[in-house]
Amino acid sequence: MAISEEQVRHVAMLARLTLTDEQVVHLGEELNSVLGHIDTIQQLDLADVEPTAHVLDVVNVMRPDEVRPGLEREVALRNAPAAEAGAFVIPRIVGGGDEA
Amino acid sequence: MSNRKEVRAVAKDRLAEVLQTWEAVIGLEIHTELTTLATKMFCGCPVAFGGEPNTRVCPVCLGMPGALPVPNEAAIEATVLAGLATNCRIAAWSQFHRKNYFYPDMPKDYQISQYDLPFCEDGHLDVDIGAVYGPPQPDQESDYATRIGITRIHLEEDTGKMVHVGGSEGRIAGATHSLVDFNRAGTGLIELVTEPDIRTPEEARRFAQKLRLIWLCLGISDCNMEEGSMRVDANVSVRRRGEGALGVKAEVKNMNSFKSLHDALAHEIVRQAELLESNGTVVQETRHWDAGAKRTSSLRSKEEAHDYRYFPEPDMVPFEFAPEWVESVRARLPELPDARKTRLASDLGLPVHDATVLTSDLDMADFFEEAARIAGPERARQVSNIMLNELSMHLNAAGIGVAASRISPAMIAELVGLVDEGAISSKQAKDVFAEMAETGEAPGAIVELRGMKQVSDTAVIEEVVERVIAANPGQVAQYQGGKAGLLGYFVGQVMREMGGQANPAVVNEVLKGKLDG
Repeated sequence: MAISEEQVRHVAMLARLTLTDEQVVHLGEELNSVLGHIDTIQQLDLADVEPTAHVLDVVNVMRPDEVRPGLEREVALRNAPAAEAGAFVIPRIVGGGDEA
Repeated sequence: MSNRKEVRAVAKDRLAEVLQTWEAVIGLEIHTELTTLATKMFCGCPVAFGGEPNTRVCPVCLGMPGALPVPNEAAIEATVLAGLATNCRIAAWSQFHRKNYFYPDMPKDYQISQYDLPFCEDGHLDVDIGAVYGPPQPDQESDYATRIGITRIHLEEDTGKMVHVGGSEGRIAGATHSLVDFNRAGTGLIELVTEPDIRTPEEARRFAQKLRLIWLCLGISDCNMEEGSMRVDANVSVRRRGEGALGVKAEVKNMNSFKSLHDALAHEIVRQAELLESNGTVVQETRHWDAGAKRTSSLRSKEEAHDYRYFPEPDMVPFEFAPEWVESVRARLPELPDARKTRLASDLGLPVHDATVLTSDLDMADFFEEAARIAGPERARQVSNIMLNELSMHLNAAGIGVAASRISPAMIAELVGLVDEGAISSKQAKDVFAEMAETGEAPGAIVELRGMKQVSDTAVIEEVVERVIAANPGQVAQYQGGKAGLLGYFVGQVMREMGGQANPAVVNEVLKGKLDG
């Protein structure tokens, strides 16, 4: 099962990555190698093996509904590239020409 | 004002007309924040509305690298409770998944949600549609009940909130930048998805109202639609009556009241039918309801190509619910509105209509039961009458709920007692009610203060009756000549003489005795 250049670009778009044409070719080869490895695993006969939902054999881990201290706002905002009025600042979301 | 009413009436007629030839197919997605929990879904930050931005945050709900989520036990119980209250099957085995997408109000760049293994599946609610709640709607021919299937209820986390700066009216278009507040991020959120079983805007409204009532009864959320703690989205398509294949659907969002939900669906059904009638095609898209302009418009978002790449959340282990545990949650189910309605009708002898209206508001139902308990079950009917008439009118006029009113269940019980014991007439009771609503005084004190005692003493009434008969010989002759309707005139005269304090039943009896005898 080979992955196409178009699929590489689609996955890159979903991950918000800008790739050069060379990178598309290179990453396509790497992804195909990963998929090839999965193809090998697919050939194993696992008819008698229980599906694994999690690597740990543990279920129902929960916490009681009790308040615990969080972060001070100054601390929470300290690593933000920009902050304003106690909030995280993000650049404009919709580009010019778009109608929201 | 009258013009706006006319416009609305025309729109309603148009919907009824469209529904003659077209059938609407509607499914709802209803998100409800678990606002009554102390903490968020996966961390110990407190749950509250509003407040200074980013003051209820921690590494988990800010999506800091390395922070690990731990599910809130109470949120999982609340979801199972919701599923049991809506006749769902509770999964024996379930888990969380990651839903991957980018949006600035979601700090992790994925939302922890559920995918193919939700906690609750395959439920239903029976919804009464009809004049029982008020004037019939045009899309509704008569009273009927309909069963709406519930596909699933799953648990996920809410996002943060954004404020867009620099554009007009806070809109995202034209904004120079946006501010993000993560106080709400990570709050437990249940999503209920219905089957496409809904056929009219009225059915959609009734379903959402009933669901809200159940959630309130379970105490899992404040269900405040204006504050966004309950949010209803709808998928709508239309097809010609008798046709089997489904039409292309549009998703309608931004309805923040039950009226908006109804009006947005009515608008969208008419829009799609008219589009198809003029040989156009419906585009599968998300549309935004504008309650002011009364129309939906396309969101034209570039993010429409959803590819969420769900995968099992590796940071949390799966859930295995033992049947005994599910039964222990079921044992905590409170009496639900339908059962309460049936009980009030059968045990206290209320008409089904009255029981339905009283139990469609939790505070009213609690108020009624308390007042009926104080007044005694034999007076429950009178308590209900005064609540559905005087009290409801007063609350509507004041624009408040019964919990915010200064009238207490004990006051209503006392008032009913005064009428029942014959101390005051039911006409006087209305005056006492009005004064009680205004001053918050107890009815007994008002009656005392105003000297409103009803006179039932036959001797006193006889004396006045004789005087009235003597003063009106002409009317007496006419009455005795066959004009029976004049009895009311005499009653009126006696009541006036006695300042409205005579017991009307006794006055009637005495008058008839004197005039007919």
